[in-house]
Amino acid sequence: MTCEEARKNLPLFLYGELSFDEEELVEVHMDECASCRAALAREKAMFGALDGAEMIPAPGALDESRMELRRRLAAAGRAAQSSAPVRGANWWDKVREGFTIHFHFAPGIAQVAGAAAMLVLGFVTARMAPNSLLGNFHSASVMDPATSRVRYVEPVAPGRVQIVVDETHQRVLSGSLDDESIQRLLLTAAKDPSDAGLRVESVDLLKNNSQSAEIRKALVYALEHDPNAGVRLKALDGLKQFAEDPDTRQALTSVLLKDDNPGVRTQVIDLLVQRHTDAMVGVLQELMEKEDNSYIRMRCQKVLQEMNASVETY
Amino acid sequence: MQAAVRMDEPELIRAAQQGDQRAFEQLVRLYDQSVLRLATNLLRSPEEANDIYQEAFLRVYKNLHTFRFDCSFHTWLYRIVSNLCLDALRKRKVRREESSVVETSEGLLDRMDAVEERRADGNPERRLESQELKERIQEVLGGLTPRERAVFEMRHYQGMRLRTIGEVMGTSEEAAKNCLFRATQKMRVALGDFV
Repeated sequence: MTCEEARKNLPLFLYGELSFDEEELVEVHMDECASCRAALAREKAMFGALDGAEMIPAPGALDESRMELRRRLAAAGRAAQSSAPVRGANWWDKVREGFTIHFHFAPGIAQVAGAAAMLVLGFVTARMAPNSLLGNFHSASVMDPATSRVRYVEPVAPGRVQIVVDETHQRVLSGSLDDESIQRLLLTAAKDPSDAGLRVESVDLLKNNSQSAEIRKALVYALEHDPNAGVRLKALDGLKQFAEDPDTRQALTSVLLKDDNPGVRTQVIDLLVQRHTDAMVGVLQELMEKEDNSYIRMRCQKVLQEMNASVETY
Repeated sequence: MQAAVRMDEPELIRAAQQGDQRAFEQLVRLYDQSVLRLATNLLRSPEEANDIYQEAFLRVYKNLHTFRFDCSFHTWLYRIVSNLCLDALRKRKVRREESSVVETSEGLLDRMDAVEERRADGNPERRLESQELKERIQEVLGGLTPRERAVFEMRHYQGMRLRTIGEVMGTSEEAAKNCLFRATQKMRVALGDFV
């Protein structure tokens, strides 16, 4: 094997993609050629550097993607349900198809498709279900503890039982974002603890109506308390125009000091330092003591210097 | 009937094809971590990676009934994922996607700070060197063609065999190998003085 051939094969050699015979040839050549051994060492170093540059999803990203997928699949199920012809014996099957698009990615959390609609519409009793369902236990595949609840059980004959089940009923609602009832639904969905994706979208829609005191309050709550950074960033977007409002400013200050996400803190500090107030000095000094993000530290330092304040507390 | 607790992959696929939601969920869980990892590293954007994740599994959900076991499910899924990623990379080339570093009023901010880096180092000197290397790697990866990028990603970070990569990309093992040669050659030239 020539040096040129050996070097061409270095990546395949390191990836283990050479045949047994080819690998043998490379190894024999390496034993004999110092220059190619050096080239192999460089190739290994390059592979090591590339290994270190791998971008891996942030913690929680997979859970969020799973939750969003669950929501989208549920929506796809609802769309299929609403577009399907509803007639005769197929009616219950179509509804059941809609009900059974449930995912269980987060054990222990109630997994309910169409949570927003459910909160308003509540439960529809199983009396709506055809008798064939109530009288035949083989239909129990529609039963899902997350979406159904047994209301009554009643023995009807030896070896037979009749069960009345409450099922979640889904309905598609549409309306203007200015509509109060739509806003109430969105406000409820924005606090749904089981679905971060739903909260992100709800807050994203609400933020355009942040002139409403109730919505602004919900945005402040989401910014301060939502466990998902994506939701907090959307809430922050909606609050930007109110950065001068004392209550909002107080919330921003608190978030700057306690939020664990550097992206959120970065946006908050950009907002807060637009106006220099004496009250900010202590906050920025406190932040300097614990902040490890270089951009935020730089912003802090600059503002403190502009205000002739020390960058440290004593 | 819902999926039993333990099913092997073909059983899961068949059950999911029959409409068993739990089986579909288990099937997703077998692969979704590596799909998100592939998309994140390939696109270097958490948002776009999530978009690919969503679109890929929605397509799997809608088209699972067409899966005929004439290749492995892994290959079928990765074909969908790699096509979506290639489309995203090509679109990015066309519209000259913004860099991960954005300029704010007061300085530069790297959007990729939201993504975990594999190696963290407290030493400032090494951190600076590592930062320069990271930038250089980003640059060279951005300079690869979408196909070279995808082949390299699947071989280097996902550990897939070239034969499988060829199947996923709808090409031969030889063509995948040539793609890999070109990618590593470009990286060797760009990173030569760092390693």
